[in-house]
Amino acid sequence: MQIIIAGAGAIGFHLAEVLSKENHDITLIDTDEDILTSVGRQLDVLTIQGDAASHKVQALANLNKAKLFIAVTTSDSTNLLAAIMAKKSGLKTVARVSNTDHLDPASLEKFREQGIDELISPKHLAAEEIHRLIDRASFTDLFEFENGKISVVGFTIDGDCPLANLTVEQAYQLADNFLFRGIAILRGHKTIIPTLNTKLYKGDHFYMSTKSQSLELAKKFVGKQQKPIKRIMILGESPLALETAQILEKNYAVSVVVQDEKSGKRFINKLDNSLVIISNPSNIDALKEEGLERMDAVIALTPNAEINIIACLKAVELKIYKTIAMVENINYIHISQNIGIDTIINKKLVAANSIIRLVRKGKVEAIASLHGVDAEIIEFEIHKKNRLLRHDLSELHLPDRSIIAGVVRGEDSFVPKLNFQFEIGDKVIILALPAVIHQLEQIFK
Amino acid sequence: MIKWLAVINVIGVLLMILAGFMLMLVPYSLFIASGDYDSLALSGLITALTGLLSYFSTRKSNMDIGKREGFLIVAFGWLAISLYSSLPYYVHGIMPSFTDAVFESVSGLTTTGATIIQDIEVSPHGILLWRSLTQWLGGMGIIVLTIAILPLLNIGGVELFVAESPGPTSNKIHPRIKETAKRLWLIYIGLTIVLMVVLKLLGMTFFDAINHALTTMATGGFSTKNDSIAHFDSVAIHYAITFFMLFGGINYTIIYFMLRGKFKNVWGSEEFKMYLSVLVALIFFVTIGVYHVSDLGLEASFRQASFQLIAMVTTTGFVLSDYTAWSPAITIVFFMTMFIGGCAGSTSGGIKIIRHLVFFKNSILELKRLLHPNALIRIKLDKKIVRPKVLTHILVFLLLYLFLFIVGSVAMTFIFQDFDTPIITAIGSVATSLGNVGPGIGELGPLDNFAKVPCLGKWVLIFLMLLGRLEIFTILILFTPFFWRQN
Repeated sequence: MQIIIAGAGAIGFHLAEVLSKENHDITLIDTDEDILTSVGRQLDVLTIQGDAASHKVQALANLNKAKLFIAVTTSDSTNLLAAIMAKKSGLKTVARVSNTDHLDPASLEKFREQGIDELISPKHLAAEEIHRLIDRASFTDLFEFENGKISVVGFTIDGDCPLANLTVEQAYQLADNFLFRGIAILRGHKTIIPTLNTKLYKGDHFYMSTKSQSLELAKKFVGKQQKPIKRIMILGESPLALETAQILEKNYAVSVVVQDEKSGKRFINKLDNSLVIISNPSNIDALKEEGLERMDAVIALTPNAEINIIACLKAVELKIYKTIAMVENINYIHISQNIGIDTIINKKLVAANSIIRLVRKGKVEAIASLHGVDAEIIEFEIHKKNRLLRHDLSELHLPDRSIIAGVVRGEDSFVPKLNFQFEIGDKVIILALPAVIHQLEQIFK
Repeated sequence: MIKWLAVINVIGVLLMILAGFMLMLVPYSLFIASGDYDSLALSGLITALTGLLSYFSTRKSNMDIGKREGFLIVAFGWLAISLYSSLPYYVHGIMPSFTDAVFESVSGLTTTGATIIQDIEVSPHGILLWRSLTQWLGGMGIIVLTIAILPLLNIGGVELFVAESPGPTSNKIHPRIKETAKRLWLIYIGLTIVLMVVLKLLGMTFFDAINHALTTMATGGFSTKNDSIAHFDSVAIHYAITFFMLFGGINYTIIYFMLRGKFKNVWGSEEFKMYLSVLVALIFFVTIGVYHVSDLGLEASFRQASFQLIAMVTTTGFVLSDYTAWSPAITIVFFMTMFIGGCAGSTSGGIKIIRHLVFFKNSILELKRLLHPNALIRIKLDKKIVRPKVLTHILVFLLLYLFLFIVGSVAMTFIFQDFDTPIITAIGSVATSLGNVGPGIGELGPLDNFAKVPCLGKWVLIFLMLLGRLEIFTILILFTPFFWRQN
């Protein structure tokens, strides 16, 4: 599919990288020639220099042949205008906005009439992601498929975890009361799809799939006990902090720490139940005074990644159960995960992943991206005449860089063993590297 | 760490493709009973076996191709292909020595077209077709072909493409490098087939038509006749080949736009306009010169001048007339044309018009800068600023080219010391090898044969031809210490 992306910033670049590796033809538009030159060296994409919201540049980009127009420049008005103009060529349009006013249902409807099919707000998506993470605090990542019949959970293997220094096969033997499948390991920058012989190390971020009924057993097994979260402290006066506080204060006791009185007043205006504290977020002693030690979760959302990371490390030291740090510099993400912070939030990656999901919609049934992992979870249904039917799983030659997380059959779900056989109507949930998704589509077609 | 296994893996693929082309000729050779099928088959099998072995033994390695691997693949890939393409000559015994076989094969692959074969017309047809085919493969580039047809070079594709295709710019005509490469090759194949049909209709035998079509589109210049194009006494054939050589010197992106009817893009290219202007001016003056010094009529003067000039500027190197026989002034003009080259992104060799264009524009602007020391003056090409990095790259290329020409000429003069005119012959042979043209001047003129070059001289010229084809940097970078350092 031909896709035009306007804006070669962090979101645009990440989108171009992922989508071009999935065999989409990408044209990238940006005003900055230096950025385009460096993108052109790294990625197999066509670059056009110019203003995405000009007819001349849009004509150069060959919109007629494209199927999707994604406007992710830093300017709301450029994105909106470019998308409205692009709609004239009859393609699907997505625009990024930072002003959340645009996301009102009424406003969305107006924009849709003018030709913008989807509006994406990185801030809003990030706030929702934080909400989700807090709700499911015992594991850092949790995904449910087919109304929760199969779950994929991700957690960092720490020193106390019984899985540390075991191979995946030993881990399977250790879990005698339930079945799970190790589907991905995030080690530093690398995404590993484990085989039976892959060894797990301390610091690995391990993703496993299991039947949802076994979720509690799994939690006990990996050594993390679920603890209900009540008190949350949010650090920072960023727009994301405000939005997150607005969402979380409905169910939790929230304290927000802001630098100065002016931001404090702005926050009080918009918040109803939260406690707004004026203090320096990097001054841990002052925060202790405000009850830092009693918190169940700390969410550091200042614009400064270093302050966020350090605040979260301090929180971990104080045995605070859940820490989330906003890290806008993509290069820091893997480092911070390796030094013990539970979860990293990056608005741009969240936004890019949600757009990628939009791109794939329609082609595959349900989809999720694991945070930081270069792989996707996709779902296929087994149709009649599929050549995978009536064979043992061990005989099927599925691509190397993919792994079956689970199979849903009616009300039942399985983590398949080697002698498993597919039946018509089975829904198969697979984790696959982008490179083999196309291959899988062929197989399951 | 350089990932040698990945390099060997890709070179294995290149060799398998090369072997495919060799083996493709075996049935043809059997069909026309030229008696060389066994050498083609044996060479093909050896090449295929090496290719398969290097591919399958390294298949499981890390295929993350970076910049260094890209350069190594192109440089060593070309080296390997040069050696294996020389096998048919060597196995058959048509070449007296290994050096000669490699020379002929490199001269082919780099589309130079200087030949060692003394009597081409008695040589077996299978071998001759292989000789033309090497030029055709080298013209658009066998690595570009590999990118076009195989998915395995997805990762490092961009770097390989840039390293192999001629010229400082790489215009993509499609978001994907693979699709771009595919389109370029399709145009190339299309033009070759059209020319083949045209030549056949104009009276060539099928064998001559296919060979000359292959070597014209590659702007290579191997002929199946001892007298090259002069053998064909047909005005129409002369003009047809002139026209298609002219096409071979145009940037294939421009040809793509022509075919798509986007003439605005075609006329927007300053390089294309300059290419035509330079040719028109040269043809005008040389026609007048030839008309004056020879007893040819006006049409014949124009035809011979334009054919020979276009053959030189596009670095094809076909011979219709001995340009060294007219007058010293015309000889020196022809010698200078070896330094022009066609457009970037064409199959031609040489310095290329775009670099001259940037060089002259910059020189003129330098004068302007003297007058306005505080002004911000930048060169523009096709209405876009030429970035300082690109400018330096082009100027360094020109200087290196000049430097290599001088060093090469000195070396070759030593080697040619027993010749009657060693200096003239040496600079001619170096200019023609570096520019991938074919014929030189002096004792290696259009009517002469490179067989008389001493063995050491042949290796120097082989090196120069490869340097010229891969645009100097790709080869020279391997000789720098920082390339091999671990960082």
